[in-house]
Amino acid sequence: MNRARSKFADNRFLQILLGCYTILWILLAIHPVDRGDWLLENLLVFVAIIVLVSTYHRFQFSNATYCLIGLFLALHAIGAHYTYAKVPAGFWIEDLLHLNRNHFDRVIHFGFGLLLVYPVQELLQRAAGVRVTWLPWLALATIFAMSSFFEILEAIIAQIVRPDLGAAYLGTQGDIWDAQKDMTSAIVGGILATLAISAFGRRRA
Amino acid sequence: MNRHKRILIGLGAICGALWIVAAIRPLDRQAWILENILLVVFVGAFSLTHRRLHLSDASYFCVAVFVILHIVGAHYTYAQMPLGLWAKDHFGLMRNHYDRFAHGAFGFLLAFPIRELLLRFSGSTRKWSFWLALAIILAVSGFFEIIESIVAELVAPGKGVDWLGGQGDEWDAQNDMLAAAIGAILMMALVALTERKTRNR
Repeated sequence: MNRARSKFADNRFLQILLGCYTILWILLAIHPVDRGDWLLENLLVFVAIIVLVSTYHRFQFSNATYCLIGLFLALHAIGAHYTYAKVPAGFWIEDLLHLNRNHFDRVIHFGFGLLLVYPVQELLQRAAGVRVTWLPWLALATIFAMSSFFEILEAIIAQIVRPDLGAAYLGTQGDIWDAQKDMTSAIVGGILATLAISAFGRRRA
Repeated sequence: MNRHKRILIGLGAICGALWIVAAIRPLDRQAWILENILLVVFVGAFSLTHRRLHLSDASYFCVAVFVILHIVGAHYTYAQMPLGLWAKDHFGLMRNHYDRFAHGAFGFLLAFPIRELLLRFSGSTRKWSFWLALAIILAVSGFFEIIESIVAELVAPGKGVDWLGGQGDEWDAQNDMLAAAIGAILMMALVALTERKTRNR
């Protein structure tokens, strides 16, 4: 534990990152569009932070990974503030491309794949001992699995919170193939990131 | 001929014979062909790689049972599988749950060979192999749901989930993936317990 504390104390980058995220999170916690939904979305953040902090003494990611995770959580904090369906940037895209729904949630699913493939690769290589040839495939499978898991969770939560609304609940905005499109977004993001990592090479962690 | 080879040929013969019987007058020829594309890809990939993979007898057994379940399902378009219809009447269910059972069996039966391959080739540690096998099952399951939705839109645009497999369940995709995940978790728990017992002995 002491070692971990000293590592965190020495890592100025991580301190600044955590500080920036905390400020952003607090600002977006003020008057969210829907407090109940905000809390629900933030369960994800709490779980992520608890896991990262509680495992820090055993496993530290690279700063690049923490930066990517921070970026994803920052985008998620914006989405949570506006219940995703009402993010201004999403409305802007909707008007610009003449879409019939706010696609900010899909952008975040895409961002999930794009931003988190690198962290997952790092985890699988360093903690699970996965070979370099298997790494891109297993990291993609993990991203895909997490995306599927999220869709299952979303379905369960929707049935508990608003059983009357069914699939019309929040996340889907009336799209019958919402789950499939969300997963496709994540995997497309993941594939792009995988290609980029292969093209530009990974720094040995 | 060694024991492993005999088992392999035996399992292959059973699946082959059943496939021929099921190919005679399936309930819906078009649906049967669609379902069998999956099977052809699966069996093709398997026969091309089986020499290099060296799967255990137990793995081959799991794969064969899954193939049999799928052959039976494809013959009855899944939704009309008699056992599922019986269960629907008997337990007063909303739909024929044979497809969900097959999704669960997919997770349960294929997590085993997948973990075996991970341990042999990927370099994964024993602890992580359980999680990665589950991840692959969930990923393949999600991929299947995406393919299913694309096929449904191509064959019957606008009809949504009801055309293929949905049977009026608006959470069909999620429930299918959940069934596969539960199947895989059960198998991984079973393997973990068995391995611990053998190691302690």
